[in-house]
Amino acid sequence: MRSPRARIALALLAGVLALAALGRIVAWLVSNEYRMPERVTEGRADETPRARGLADEKAADEKKAMETPYQEPEYRRFPVIGSRTAVWVAAQLHLLFAAFVLAVPLFAFIIEAIGWKTGDKRYDRLAYEFTRLMSVSFSLTATFGAALTFLLIILYPKFTTYLMDVFSPTFLPYVLLFFFEAFFLYTYYYGWGKFHPLVHLGLGLGLNVVGTCIMVIANAWLTFMTSPAGVSEKGAVISVWAAVHNYTWMPINIHRFIANIAFGGSVAAAYAAFKFLQATSDEERAHYDWMGYIGNFVAIAGFLPLPFAGYWLAKEIYAFSQTLGLTMMGGAFSWLFIIQAVLIGNLFLAVNYYLWLGMGRIEGAQHFQRLIKYLLIGIAVCFMIWATPRSIIATVSEVRAMGGSAHPMLGYLGVMSAKNTAVNILILTTFMSFLLYRRTGKVATVAWKRAGNIAQLAIFGLASANVIFLGIYGYFVEATVRIGLSVPQVLSVLIAMVSITVIDIFLFRGARMDAEVRWGRIPAIAQYVLIFIAVTFTWLMGLMGYVRSGLRQHWHVYGVMRDRSVDAYTPTLGDATIIVSWTVIVFFLLIGFVFWLASLHDKKDWEAGARPGEAAP
Amino acid sequence: MTFRVPLVARLGVLVVATTLFYTYVGQMVPQKQVLPPVEIEIRKDIGTAEMVSLGREIADGKGLCFTCHTIGKKGALRFPDLEGVASRARTREPGLSEVEYLAHSMYEPDAYIVQGFNPGMPVINKPPIGLTDDEILCVIAYLQTLGGTPTVTLQTKHRWNAGAPGGGAAAAGGAPAAPVAAGTAPVGGAKP
Repeated sequence: MRSPRARIALALLAGVLALAALGRIVAWLVSNEYRMPERVTEGRADETPRARGLADEKAADEKKAMETPYQEPEYRRFPVIGSRTAVWVAAQLHLLFAAFVLAVPLFAFIIEAIGWKTGDKRYDRLAYEFTRLMSVSFSLTATFGAALTFLLIILYPKFTTYLMDVFSPTFLPYVLLFFFEAFFLYTYYYGWGKFHPLVHLGLGLGLNVVGTCIMVIANAWLTFMTSPAGVSEKGAVISVWAAVHNYTWMPINIHRFIANIAFGGSVAAAYAAFKFLQATSDEERAHYDWMGYIGNFVAIAGFLPLPFAGYWLAKEIYAFSQTLGLTMMGGAFSWLFIIQAVLIGNLFLAVNYYLWLGMGRIEGAQHFQRLIKYLLIGIAVCFMIWATPRSIIATVSEVRAMGGSAHPMLGYLGVMSAKNTAVNILILTTFMSFLLYRRTGKVATVAWKRAGNIAQLAIFGLASANVIFLGIYGYFVEATVRIGLSVPQVLSVLIAMVSITVIDIFLFRGARMDAEVRWGRIPAIAQYVLIFIAVTFTWLMGLMGYVRSGLRQHWHVYGVMRDRSVDAYTPTLGDATIIVSWTVIVFFLLIGFVFWLASLHDKKDWEAGARPGEAAP
Repeated sequence: MTFRVPLVARLGVLVVATTLFYTYVGQMVPQKQVLPPVEIEIRKDIGTAEMVSLGREIADGKGLCFTCHTIGKKGALRFPDLEGVASRARTREPGLSEVEYLAHSMYEPDAYIVQGFNPGMPVINKPPIGLTDDEILCVIAYLQTLGGTPTVTLQTKHRWNAGAPGGGAAAAGGAPAAPVAAGTAPVGGAKP
């Protein structure tokens, strides 16, 4: 104890202890001193008129509270952002994660099945890597689902009670299915490589079936809000099945199923792009380039038929209520579809650009790369037509000069005839672009290859001609006829895609490879394109989620239960896009967290004593 | 030594820039906040002129008429244009007066479809629009100004507002129509 510092510290400690002891002694003395006993008189000495008044008030309040019957509030208010926005953001984030969690098992299952069938281990590894993204996403989906449920119960209690009343028989199966979903998901993930491949594939199938059933049940609740059925005019339940099987239920089931695949594929491709950009070896780059390509392929495969599912949904909305349909396409939301056109146009351009960049991986692709240039021009033209509004925002003098709000020439491109034609050609062109990519480096060896090529070109030409002819014809007929023209337009594109694909499969069966695909040999910009596609997809889902839900305007359940809260307004498109953007940014922050967690799997274990960057022994 | 922006920062910029671009596009389109329809109080003592003004307001707001219908627009339309509707209403359905036809088109819109158009108009006195009988009379008064002279009052009765079957209450003559006693000869009946 020679150190002066130690002595000072000890002295300070002794001082503190002495002070504490002194304080304790003083407190004991004060508490034990003698006090005169207090004598309380009958009327209490301190009962002043004020104190009496306060006591009476308190007693009256208590009595009133005891007598008041319980009354459920119709609404409660969420602080700062309001109830509508709070529910909106929670629902959107829940749906984005749910879409991802439903889609990934679907293509993980298919890829695993391909791996099992072909014996190619790369597929198995890829499927496992996709599945790794799911477990954390599943927890986030459930968290946002719980948040949404609590927000609905707290903020919209009457409406939530009504919805629960109508759909009470569906909730128990929903909870049970959720349990099975967790069972299948974790067994599928943790059981990778631990079971016979067929048993594992069976688990994957179970996961997909259960996941789809969960989605289908939840879709019944939300579609009932837009197109109610099975209830009386005053909302009394007549048939639960009719309430489930309402006008928009099946179109939403199909639309969401396809959109989830497209969205899941794009997010998985973004993950691959992130890993590609992080990669330090050629082997890693090759793997993640391939993974990004597969993810993007899944996204395109889902994306191409999506507008057709959208047509069906819109048709059912019109069939349920023309007013609702016209509110969507011609009323408050009509300009939203111009924003949608910008998004979808960007998606088509980005997807085609990625395919074009991808051709650089294959030797001898220059011939096809030249063709893609023309396809891109066609896509750009279609995009511009689709994004042309019917009415142009103009000053009074400009409107006078144009002779109306529609431009004398461009106005013709703003009507459905032109837009339907543009989107159909857009789909067909992107399909052809993908087909060209697919056959790059391959040489058909079948005897009928010339006839096959001619047949494919003829189908493409005929389908395009039919779509364009019907588009022009639409300008010269009544509305009743014109509306019906979109069906043969869509059918000709679908028939063309299916028949060209079938011919292509047989044409290139046993094809000779005259060039090798050099996975990983793709510019880094292609990876940023994949991330751009994922962000655009997410934003598009947010926007279309808004129109699907916002379409009801001031109704909780359209025509049955009116929204009488302060949030019963429909925001401007500008305000709506700001909320969509915030949701997208939060989603990408969270999905970034999921990616980071998934990438921890490849990191070396931490061990005490190892320096950063130094491998543990 | 060259400084390289970390990957996470580059990706963050890409996500935020893409999102900002779409937000910007969202600000460029026309901005309109849609409020729930305002309930208009209709006093029982108002005259036809006031009804016309209220009818215009209802047609534009709670009635949602102009979501589908236009006034003075020509070309390939999805729903009939309302310019001159009052004059057409007098002769469109045999046996129905102008007021009767207009009321019929709102209470039973699918019973008579104008040639060249598809059915699609909702029943106006039922949700989601749910106009009251008085509100519908105001809208009729307004529609009568489009190619005619408004004649209805809040006392006008027709077969759909508990008046006589076939009504004829709103005499096409122009003088405010008196309520018609039940039992007046039915007009119209089954429609195409």
